[in-house]
Amino acid sequence: MNPVLHLPKKDRRRAVTLAVIILLQALCAAFFFSDVVADFKADTYLNEVHFYMESSATLVLIAGVIFLMIELRGVMNRMQQLDRGLRAARGEMAQIIDTFFSEWNLTPSEKDVGLLILKGLDNETIAKLRGTAAGTVRAQSTRVYSKAGVDSRAQLFSVLLEELLADEDHQIQHEVEHESAT
Amino acid sequence: MLTKQQYSSGRNRARDSQDVLVWDPLVRLIHWGVVSMVLINAAIVAKDSPIHLWAGYTMLVLVAVRLLWGIMGTRFARFTAFPPNPFRALSYLRAIRQGDKTVHLSHNPLGALMVYNIWTTLLLIGATGFMMGTVSFFGVAWVEQVHELAYDWLLISIAAHIVGVIFDTWRSGVPLVQAMLHGRKRIPRDTPVE
Repeated sequence: MNPVLHLPKKDRRRAVTLAVIILLQALCAAFFFSDVVADFKADTYLNEVHFYMESSATLVLIAGVIFLMIELRGVMNRMQQLDRGLRAARGEMAQIIDTFFSEWNLTPSEKDVGLLILKGLDNETIAKLRGTAAGTVRAQSTRVYSKAGVDSRAQLFSVLLEELLADEDHQIQHEVEHESAT
Repeated sequence: MLTKQQYSSGRNRARDSQDVLVWDPLVRLIHWGVVSMVLINAAIVAKDSPIHLWAGYTMLVLVAVRLLWGIMGTRFARFTAFPPNPFRALSYLRAIRQGDKTVHLSHNPLGALMVYNIWTTLLLIGATGFMMGTVSFFGVAWVEQVHELAYDWLLISIAAHIVGVIFDTWRSGVPLVQAMLHGRKRIPRDTPVE
């Protein structure tokens, strides 16, 4: 498992692309700006359409740079928010598991087994990891299930999932009731 | 018994350190862009080569974009995240001597002074370099002197900057060079963050 939070690739690519375009466009803007200034000083071009076209192109380029900067700031803000959200969710999930395990009065070794079950390992692998017999793990997992008041692995997962989806679940039930009433 | 490695979940390992997205791609591109422009002009091309001029102008634009980004950029890139304040730098020095391990997400107060110093020096070099190419300042002695003095000062500043980065990486345990490459500061757990 990788502890580094993976932010959406799309956003990261978008941010890099925006930054590159900002720099290239700023370089173009500076180039045209210096040309406009040179033309302005030369005085002879002031009556030509070319001069005004070039001036407005420069202005548009500069405005574009500023607009892209605002875009980039938005993308970065979103990435930072997502980053914080993921971190908080991960911390909360760990807390929820800890709370449930303590509530069910699991012993330390039962907690170990319970965590490994939640991480998706089968009894045999758990036995190998813990250096115990498969029968011991089976007995321990049965005790975990009975203390949690569930019959199977899947139900153990659903207890935790339900906690995470509590609000939505409530909403769904509400809607079901509403539908059956009508 | 289980070793820590075997049953640590992602959260447990994530607890040893924490990655925070600090430098956006624009900051990173500008940083390494300026580095390459300085390298090109200091070590690769001749002084009277036309590339010297274009590299100088490019550097000026990069710094200008960075200054604009300091006003309207992302949180850690804005000037407000690292105000130029010598008093804060002094109290920061005092705190370091007392063994304070606070990690600063943006530049630390001492690093901030270096940042403003390098920007000012780069602008001075760029401006005097530009003046040398204009009709009214071509061949004027003081402009050339300022250009060269500022360049010497830049070399001293770069050396101090690198020493500062190495020292702070060693002191705080945050790999700063990598942070400027991929944008994330890896902050060890149990260190206060500012």
